[in-house]
Amino acid sequence: MAEVQPPTQEQLDAYVRTRLALAGFDLTLLPEKADPATGVPTQAQVLASLRSFVASTPGAIAGWAAPATSPAYGQQASPPLLYPSITEAWTGKAEE
Amino acid sequence: MSRALNRRVFLASSAAVASGVALQSAAPASAATAAKLRIPDIDVRQAARQDPSEATLAEAVVLMRRGKLTATELTEAYLERIERYDSTYQAYAEVTGEAALKAARQADRRPIGVLRGIPLCIKDNYFTDGVPTRCNSLIFEDFVPDEDATAVARLKAAGGIVLGKGQMGPLATTRATKPNGTVTTVNAWTPADPSVDPGGSSTGPACSVAARLASSSIGTQTGGSIVLPSNQQNLTGLKPTMGRVSIHGVIPLSFTRDHAGPLARDAMDAAIMLQIMAGPDPKDPRTLGLPVVPDLIRSATPVASKGVRLRRATRIGVPADFLSSQKEMRGAFLDQLAAIRGVTLVDITYPADWALLTGTFNAARLAERTEPFRHWLREDPTKFGVSLLSWLQGLMLSGDEWITAQRAKTHLLREVLDGILNDCDVVLQTGPVPFDILGLPEIAFPIGFGTNGVPVGTILGGQPYEEDRLLEVTAAYQATTAWHTRRPTDPTATARAKLRATQTRPRLSAEEAAEASA
Repeated sequence: MAEVQPPTQEQLDAYVRTRLALAGFDLTLLPEKADPATGVPTQAQVLASLRSFVASTPGAIAGWAAPATSPAYGQQASPPLLYPSITEAWTGKAEE
Repeated sequence: MSRALNRRVFLASSAAVASGVALQSAAPASAATAAKLRIPDIDVRQAARQDPSEATLAEAVVLMRRGKLTATELTEAYLERIERYDSTYQAYAEVTGEAALKAARQADRRPIGVLRGIPLCIKDNYFTDGVPTRCNSLIFEDFVPDEDATAVARLKAAGGIVLGKGQMGPLATTRATKPNGTVTTVNAWTPADPSVDPGGSSTGPACSVAARLASSSIGTQTGGSIVLPSNQQNLTGLKPTMGRVSIHGVIPLSFTRDHAGPLARDAMDAAIMLQIMAGPDPKDPRTLGLPVVPDLIRSATPVASKGVRLRRATRIGVPADFLSSQKEMRGAFLDQLAAIRGVTLVDITYPADWALLTGTFNAARLAERTEPFRHWLREDPTKFGVSLLSWLQGLMLSGDEWITAQRAKTHLLREVLDGILNDCDVVLQTGPVPFDILGLPEIAFPIGFGTNGVPVGTILGGQPYEEDRLLEVTAAYQATTAWHTRRPTDPTATARAKLRATQTRPRLSAEEAAEASA
């Protein structure tokens, strides 16, 4: 399998801007210069932070797979659970 | 509780649901349930007899039962201290003094419930009927709910009085600051120095109890927000198992990880508060179909025949890196624990993928905070103030990555339950996040003081719905130590003047807020 080249800063920037726009987020509502009254980050701060986040985090999560002898068995391993502690102890008796 | 049994019951239950057997609607825990509780006739310390504000919740109830204290006297004592000192502490976002006094007088005429008029501080992300609930954010600056959160309603039904709303990190993220990041609430142990970490995000509830401005308090935890301020301010904080307490009426941060629980003076007070708050709530399906709430007050009552002993033999897991930077304190604490009859200390080792699954994977929670706030992200993101970045980071995770993180939770839970917690019954924690991810219970309690005079605490984690065992260990430890009874000195005039003279208070940047966010 060919190694995928990491995205450039320009590609990351385009991705972040596009994702924000698709989510209906208007970057221009943020200040261009620091605003001590609200403390909200500037447009540049937001873009820099999100480029860094996108470059580091999603790939690290997507790179993990449940230990298994093959991908086919990996699909069966550790089914995703939102609330694992509840699932562990659930009695099924709602009145309890 | 047997975990093997739990799994069998779960599988049987799954089959029942799959075959079309519907769940019955759950009856809410009621005032009647709370009324059945009884706080034991504990010894009341001399200091508490002399000064009502020094009384723990349990001591205050005992004094009231004996006719030595009224709810009105107790409420007035706290309101007087709030009036005198809260401009320094800034523990409260809103003080409901008049309503509290009215409720106290009513409680004195006709005591109801186990709490009989005990004044409480409520973190400002719990809905409170007719009282502003701002979550310390410009988003909710004009929000006045028309109902109480379930946990608040239960405390009031049990005779609790809302004394006010506790300051908090903006939207429950960091230590308490203004929405723009300027530090507000101080650590009750260092009121003249706002740079000292008071813990967050339940900063105000912690400060109010530590500074004797309330009997007890409730907070929320998504990434350490109950246990960390409890550790920093010499309190006993209990983050229960996911589903143990309803979070209906709590402004959300991350819906798979938000927990409601008490920040209290000691194990007994934490047990009383949790006993009242816990139980099924039809408005929060996460609370339904779970094991019954055990007798937590009994669990928090130390057993002291021929010296203190645990109610049942308990293996306490100790990771190699526990308190590794404070070796002397580590040694003293572990020696003290080991001296309690029934305790066995066990060395435990983390699984190989621990750092990845509890570190990088912590980011998976961020998508959960983005979704319920989409309206405001589109309408006016400046209202998020210093906290905006982590809400936008949540937009950058894809659905498949979020699902991978949920799969990793299942894997991590098995590693914890079949690995670490197979070798021990409870485990000392080096941080709160792993058990927050898994929804497992944690208790924080004081174990000493640092050289800077700031309290040092520890966190003990347990198995699902075994808050009782956490309380048993903590109560036994507190029966043999006095750290939890220490009280910070009231702010002196000099300290208050120094604080007023401080031109600039510390301020978090947007990047720092994202990094420190719960």
